[in-house]
Amino acid sequence: MNFNPNDLVGILPAVILTLGGCALMTTEVFLRKDGPDRRYQPFLAAVFGLIALYVSLSQLGDPSATLFAGAAVADGIGRSISAVVSGTLVLSVLLAAGYLETLSASRGEFYALALFSAAGMCLLSQATDLIVVFIALEVMSLAVYSLTAWLRKGTKPAEAAFKYFVLGSFASAIFLYGAALAFGAAGSTRIADLALAVRNANAGSSMLVYAAGALLTVGFAFKVAAFPFHMWVPDVYDGAPAPVTGFMAAGVKAAAFATLARILIGGFGDVGASMGPHGWQSLIVLLAGATMLVGNVLAVPQRSVKRMLAYSSIAHAGYLLVSIAAMAGSEPRQDAVFGLVFYLASYAATVIGAFGIVALIERKLAPTGASDDLTTWGGLAQKHPLLAAAMSLFMLSLAGVPPTAGFMGKLGIFRAAIEAGLVPLAIFGVLTSAAGLYYYLRVVVYIYMVPSTKPEPVVGGRMLTAGVALAACAVLVIWMGVQPGAFATLTQSSLAGFGK
Amino acid sequence: MVGPLHYLVLAAALFALGAVGVVIRRNAIIVLMSIELMLNAVNLTFLTFSRFPLVVKGNDAPIAGHAAVFYVIAVAAAEAAVGLAIVIAVFRSRLTVNVDEIDSLKN
Amino acid sequence: MDSYLTPYLPVLILLVIAGVMCTAISLLAGKLGPRRITSVKEGAFECGNPSTGDGHARHSVRFYLVALLFIVFDVESVFVYPWGAMLHDFQAQHLGWFAFGEMMSFMATLALGLVYVWRKGALNWSADVNS
Repeated sequence: MNFNPNDLVGILPAVILTLGGCALMTTEVFLRKDGPDRRYQPFLAAVFGLIALYVSLSQLGDPSATLFAGAAVADGIGRSISAVVSGTLVLSVLLAAGYLETLSASRGEFYALALFSAAGMCLLSQATDLIVVFIALEVMSLAVYSLTAWLRKGTKPAEAAFKYFVLGSFASAIFLYGAALAFGAAGSTRIADLALAVRNANAGSSMLVYAAGALLTVGFAFKVAAFPFHMWVPDVYDGAPAPVTGFMAAGVKAAAFATLARILIGGFGDVGASMGPHGWQSLIVLLAGATMLVGNVLAVPQRSVKRMLAYSSIAHAGYLLVSIAAMAGSEPRQDAVFGLVFYLASYAATVIGAFGIVALIERKLAPTGASDDLTTWGGLAQKHPLLAAAMSLFMLSLAGVPPTAGFMGKLGIFRAAIEAGLVPLAIFGVLTSAAGLYYYLRVVVYIYMVPSTKPEPVVGGRMLTAGVALAACAVLVIWMGVQPGAFATLTQSSLAGFGK
Repeated sequence: MVGPLHYLVLAAALFALGAVGVVIRRNAIIVLMSIELMLNAVNLTFLTFSRFPLVVKGNDAPIAGHAAVFYVIAVAAAEAAVGLAIVIAVFRSRLTVNVDEIDSLKN
Repeated sequence: MDSYLTPYLPVLILLVIAGVMCTAISLLAGKLGPRRITSVKEGAFECGNPSTGDGHARHSVRFYLVALLFIVFDVESVFVYPWGAMLHDFQAQHLGWFAFGEMMSFMATLALGLVYVWRKGALNWSADVNS
């Protein structure tokens, strides 16, 4: 087994992001303590993110290639997710620039950690070896834990980071135990060899295979915040700086869902024969239903928009699980894979925009120590009509109202579920998302109908970069909703090389 | 004679002890140690399957498990460093490492 | 009985006898001997200065910082040992320079981390690391 330098081209987005992180981290320590010369950092990070985005988009149509003797792969879904992650990074970094400056917490490590984390996400979506999955998962997670604790003011950030760290590491350990059992059953940690072991499982080894599958799934259920493993989400999303929350909601979800699909389809696609006609599908159906229900129900009583968005992200994890359930089988169902990728892209654009506006409110509130209660959103329409319109757009997209990206995303996923014969699940999903309308529209009601209770303007500080990022999010949300065909290359090339 | 099953059961017991420790222990540092215990149980499992392979893939199957352990050790060290740093940050803001008292994030 | 443990049976017997004897002697001495406690007996005898303060003194956070940096850099050596052991094999396969280059790139990454830590002042024991 020889190293082929061309393999590095396959993981080029991750390489670029890593180099960018190293550059930011090493230049940071040579800067003066309180100099104004830190302005370049968000732009440097955004440039590296844009290059990674360009590279992953330009590689979209290429044939899939096995890299590093089967440890990773450059295939459609890896490239699509890399593109989503890079775009997420660029938007989050631009949103973070003004936020950090206002809170005087602007240092190069922030952007370096964001870049490292995005590199981990790209690698995660391309990994086809459980040990590589673990390493990429940890590269992503460790950086995100640190970003969560970025603000040193008050008790919330450190606590949120601690909770995230403990539960995240717990999940990683469970995943890793599953990987060890899979190694026992397959004699290798490659997902392809695991599929072979699943196919040839006999009475003795099938228990090992099932245990491995269960542990691997539980590990990722933690990461994607599926129902019984969702408890950390509201606290972590609430305590983290809002731009980081958007980054983690969009990026971590995208990478984790791609990997979950890869393990379940690539590794356990054939489990059906010994486990019943649909294999693990029925388990994922249960998980999806419970997650949609819990996320939507618990979001209703929330007064803080940030916490409401946290519960809503649990609900969205449920919708995404529907697409995973719909693709069950040894060959993934095409429309379900398209649905997954399109939904991840549309959710990324929407949720980054929503948390971007929360960040604008939060950075104004931070010195007073208040949290973003719904009442602070009152009167936003009079003071900042554009922001109010954008926030309403993002809320409608999260609720799945046409003509927004969220609607097209949900349409694709539920249609795939119906095609796959999961009609009750699709109906349940539509019902829960209709219930979600209540708490999304409540924000819009506060923005437009409730008069302001506070005399001072809600938003302050430098706005230019955040404005550009928010405008980009809004344009993407409308564009994906009105003309989803324009994103066909992104979604449809994702099937290349996926599955066996 | 001590066989693979003994090692696997020991590893499973260690993993369970670590998992229980994460859930019930109150001291944040001990929670970190419990997570490390879980990772080391995984290492023991990898090594057992390396030493007593059920399936032999080519001639590098035994090495694959050992290599996996090296990666896990390195990642565990990085994880411990980040975890310790976060615990220090928690301590600085609250002057306690008792998990029960870390509860300001509630509705 | 496991056969390979049989030669160690005398050692086990010796351990048991030693344990019984030690326990018996200390128990008997405690039961039978007279007990007269005086302040002179209670005081520390040739054990250095009388101790002051609480036994649970809090360590400076700097200890943790150094420990933290130590484990991270120390554990990376697990990758160097197998590399060193395999170097001859690599050379036999004409991969010597490749293996060397791989390790050097790994070391360079670590060195980058060291530069960061150094410039950040984390290795500076006396200066204020919190600033």
